[in-house]
Amino acid sequence: MDTGSIDIQNLSKRFRVHQERNFTLKERLIYWKRAKWTDFWALKDIHLAVAPGESIGLVGRNGSGKSTLLKVISGILFPDQGTVNVHGKVSSLLELGAGFHPEFSGRENIFVNGTIMGLSRRDIKERIDQIIEFSELGRFIDEPVRSYSSGMYMRLGFSVAINIDPDILLVDEVLAVGDARFQEKCIQKFYELKALGKTIVFVSHDAGAVAKICDRCVWLQNGHIVLDSGAAEVLETYAEKGDEQYATAES
Amino acid sequence: MLSSIKEIWRYKEMLRTLVFMDLRTKYKGSILGFLWTFLNPLMTILIYTLIFHTIMRVSMPHYLGYVFVGQLPWNFFQTAMLAGTGSILQYANMVKKIYFPRQILPLSIVLSNGINYLLSLIILIPALLVTGVSLSWHLIWFPVILAAQFILLYPMVLLLSALQVYMRDIQHMLVIFLTAWFYFTPVIYSMEMVPKRYAWVYDLNPAKPLIQSYQDIFYYHRSPSWVLFAWVLIAVAGTFVAQRIFNHLNRRMAEEV
Repeated sequence: MDTGSIDIQNLSKRFRVHQERNFTLKERLIYWKRAKWTDFWALKDIHLAVAPGESIGLVGRNGSGKSTLLKVISGILFPDQGTVNVHGKVSSLLELGAGFHPEFSGRENIFVNGTIMGLSRRDIKERIDQIIEFSELGRFIDEPVRSYSSGMYMRLGFSVAINIDPDILLVDEVLAVGDARFQEKCIQKFYELKALGKTIVFVSHDAGAVAKICDRCVWLQNGHIVLDSGAAEVLETYAEKGDEQYATAES
Repeated sequence: MLSSIKEIWRYKEMLRTLVFMDLRTKYKGSILGFLWTFLNPLMTILIYTLIFHTIMRVSMPHYLGYVFVGQLPWNFFQTAMLAGTGSILQYANMVKKIYFPRQILPLSIVLSNGINYLLSLIILIPALLVTGVSLSWHLIWFPVILAAQFILLYPMVLLLSALQVYMRDIQHMLVIFLTAWFYFTPVIYSMEMVPKRYAWVYDLNPAKPLIQSYQDIFYYHRSPSWVLFAWVLIAVAGTFVAQRIFNHLNRRMAEEV
């Protein structure tokens, strides 16, 4: 398979919804074999093939399985059924700055976060000016991250993740935090990466952003794929029938 | 197992970052900072010496030096076990949001505590000389014994860190268990003081040959016994088992932390 491709066959993912969590030994012994959880299938029978260089959007209501799908692709969650084959270096913008340490400066956290994403210190040194410039943090880069506003935090996290030169970029609703101008800059960056032939999987509630970035779009509902087609078509159908379908599924 | 080693190797830079972060944050914000690395064991050792030598009259030559030699690696053993067990929960936020080989977390804690132990040797060597224990060529065994300690610690910490995610009692039980373990390891007394008929209990304790090996090279000026290396072989086999169990528990880790 080519670098940058994703191939998902038959994927199902089950969560245990705990009524009461048995964290302690006492509880484990008392409730032995009477475990109190119900199964919830967050994804059911997903088939999805993404070719190298494709930009694909995922839309759907809250709880439809979009984020779970991204987490399975990135390897954070394991599938319960089916297979997921991912070829190439993945960068996931699931939650920006998840590995940041509040006591360290922005500059130190670039190294922390970069190495967590699999870069070497040398790679980071080569890119650090680019990362700092993109983050627009200026002199704050040497201040501890705990003093940052949520916008600054997000800008730094985004700058690191986008500059690690991935083959596949997984993006989950991260544009919501920044101001309009920074959002526009991020979208420009996605265009650049797209032009370089990177594969992008993009989750957003913002139909406008999806339309700008993605050629193809997948509509997920209750863990199933409802529609997988050209972005314009899917977004239009979703806008018309999304709420209606949701209502029938609920009842 | 082999794939696990490869994964760790691929993420060696992250491992380095975690070790560095753990060392730096340990004393961040405290006034004496890194001095605590020295002060903490120093105080413990002085208390033991006061109680067991001055009050309870343990008669061993250079008793203070003897306790120094055993207490510092025990301290490494104990803190690595405790902190390592909590390591995956400690980094829960990262486990949930980022992909990386999760065995790096317990490994980084064992390594950072090992480095802390190495730094504490800066006080061990002068302390030995002050208390009248000389140094000998047997110290060339030191890196071997230190490596043996890593190999003994890693499978235990690996297994406990994953179990701790699903059963939060582990760490509480471990605190009590380690207290007992300390007193059943010849750190503040020597095996000569243990009645012969109880000696077999000690043969089940891997920490005994470990601590004794340090005492052999620093205090008795002799080569360590082969018993330690028998335990190393058991630990290597144990690592395979621990890694298998870890891989199994890893599958739902991001959901359970």
